[in-house]
Amino acid sequence: MAEPEGPGSDRHAHLSRAEELLIHHVELPQTAISQALDAGLILLGKAASWLWLAVVGIIIYAVVGRYAFGSGSVTLEEWQWHIAGAAWLIGLSYTLATDDHVRVDVLHERFSLRTKGWIELFGILFLLLPFLGSALWEAIPYFHSSYLQDETSQAPAGLPNRWILKGVLALSFLLLIVAALSRLMRVTALLFGLPRPRRMGEAGNGGAPR
Amino acid sequence: MSLEQIFVIGMFATFGLLLMTGFPVAWVLGGTAVIWTVIGLVAVENFGADLWFDYGSSLGLVPERSWNLVESDTLVALPMFIFMGIMLDQSGIAERLMNNMVKLFGAVRGGYAVTVIVIGVLLAATTGIIGASVVLLGMLSLPVMMANNYDKGFAVGTACATGTLGILIPPSIMLVLMADRLAVPEASVGDLFMGAFFPGLMLGAMYVAYALIRPAINPRIAPVPADLPTVDAGVLWDVVKAVVPTAALILGVLGSIFAGIATPTEASGVGALGAMLLALFNWRLSPAVLSDSLYQTTRTTAFIFAIFLGATAFSVVLRGLGGDRVIEDALLGLPFEPTGIVIAILVGVFLLGFFLDWVEITLIILPLVAPVVQNLGFDLVWFTILFAVCLQTSFLTPPVGFALFYIKGVCPPEIKVTDIYRGVVPYIILQLVALALVFLFPAIATWLPSVAFG
Repeated sequence: MAEPEGPGSDRHAHLSRAEELLIHHVELPQTAISQALDAGLILLGKAASWLWLAVVGIIIYAVVGRYAFGSGSVTLEEWQWHIAGAAWLIGLSYTLATDDHVRVDVLHERFSLRTKGWIELFGILFLLLPFLGSALWEAIPYFHSSYLQDETSQAPAGLPNRWILKGVLALSFLLLIVAALSRLMRVTALLFGLPRPRRMGEAGNGGAPR
Repeated sequence: MSLEQIFVIGMFATFGLLLMTGFPVAWVLGGTAVIWTVIGLVAVENFGADLWFDYGSSLGLVPERSWNLVESDTLVALPMFIFMGIMLDQSGIAERLMNNMVKLFGAVRGGYAVTVIVIGVLLAATTGIIGASVVLLGMLSLPVMMANNYDKGFAVGTACATGTLGILIPPSIMLVLMADRLAVPEASVGDLFMGAFFPGLMLGAMYVAYALIRPAINPRIAPVPADLPTVDAGVLWDVVKAVVPTAALILGVLGSIFAGIATPTEASGVGALGAMLLALFNWRLSPAVLSDSLYQTTRTTAFIFAIFLGATAFSVVLRGLGGDRVIEDALLGLPFEPTGIVIAILVGVFLLGFFLDWVEITLIILPLVAPVVQNLGFDLVWFTILFAVCLQTSFLTPPVGFALFYIKGVCPPEIKVTDIYRGVVPYIILQLVALALVFLFPAIATWLPSVAFG
């Protein structure tokens, strides 16, 4: 029998649902401090997400302008990647706070929660933090020299004050470190009970609200 | 074995092992880069290793290289296409297509399978991450096909294979990433979109042909429903209303790039606006849907760029340790003709696809092998399309193809893993035929880019 309004439609097969099935979160407990940090990062990331609408707007404005006035605008083009760049740079720590960075979970899925906790502990201490630390260490002088030189775009009609976005680059590594430390707290709360974990279920146990 | 070779093998081995722990890919890449920088520096400074390696020309370059990602005008298209895909999905197009086209094609034997393939080709743009479209198509179509007593393997194989088409069919974000990494004018985003257009359509057509011919030979696997609603003007109009706006949007985006009217970035922004309008006209664009879509765009974009950052660190350190030369020597040292070297690379990519997602393979492997292939005198668009089809085939191949895991997650319980394996085999054969065709007749990929801007 053909039932067109059948199972296909009532399950609302949306990508958001699909991604919930695809990305497996490590169910770490929350702690008082990490919860506050995560909430802040998530708020910032969500605020930055609205910048995508600005990017769409600028692209449309540039396209219309090009057809109406017949010339492309380097200024608008630079605005596009400035705003898009800021959005994803800030989004990096948001995505870490919601545990949405992809994993290869062929084996991971079968590990116990404690094993996953140990993997997170070693991963954060020996892979993530050293990487972020070295990146931030280099990004700060990179930003600073841009600021001292008052670096501007090399294009004639380009934007001035390039140091601002280079500052956001450094800031994004700093925010990632904050997100990593917050996550580290949640891992130690799971493994060693330090800092004291909040009761499971109290503040969501599958990662912070997205 | 030279010291460089040991370092390169060591780096890849570290990466592969740590990846299996399930720690996020991006940070495994970045962490591996740091570990091997330390090893490299200790080897040079404390043991006087005969290696030209220093911090400043490897890990110290990370902020500068990260800046290149920020500064890229082309990469703005990435979040825009992701947002467009999410918006298209939220507009409820997929369900409407399914419900309406089922009425239209229901009377044809194998009609539901054809419906799935057509939807998959149309909505290829919604592929944010590998698996998303596999899951989407599976959730959408498997219950209907099961309710109509379709053969389990046939049903699940079709949904699974069609889902993987999304990474190839433009506007595919994988092709945007590939163009960025290739960084040569003769393989721009527009060129790759055009190059993938006919191979993608050809695969879609081959799938449809299979979905019609196989049930014609063996009617048992796809029974024709008994009580079909008659196809009247109303049904036809519903199908037109569902198909035309979506198809127009996607063809408009591609057409404006192909005709040279718009850059891919411009087209992506216009496409994003178009998808928002589609959602609006379908009464689906509530503030909650809009904000959720924007947040999801950020998360998807961020995880891809995070892998980008990790892969950047990995690549500069690998290059600092002499990895480029090692890989090039290894490839050129193969006892084959130039064509044989290309085949060897494709086989390697096929095998890597069992362990790595397209993001990592595109970001790390493609920039290592592409210059070698180009120096051998091959067309980069042609090679990249082969690379893409090869990856797609790999994701479909049992027992470890990614698509198989994803589809398993949404299968009704009566579908067994063996059904999935059995179902995808014919599609793998079709993939290999397509791969061979593009290999033997490069014009399938190179013709459109050659006439469009030439």
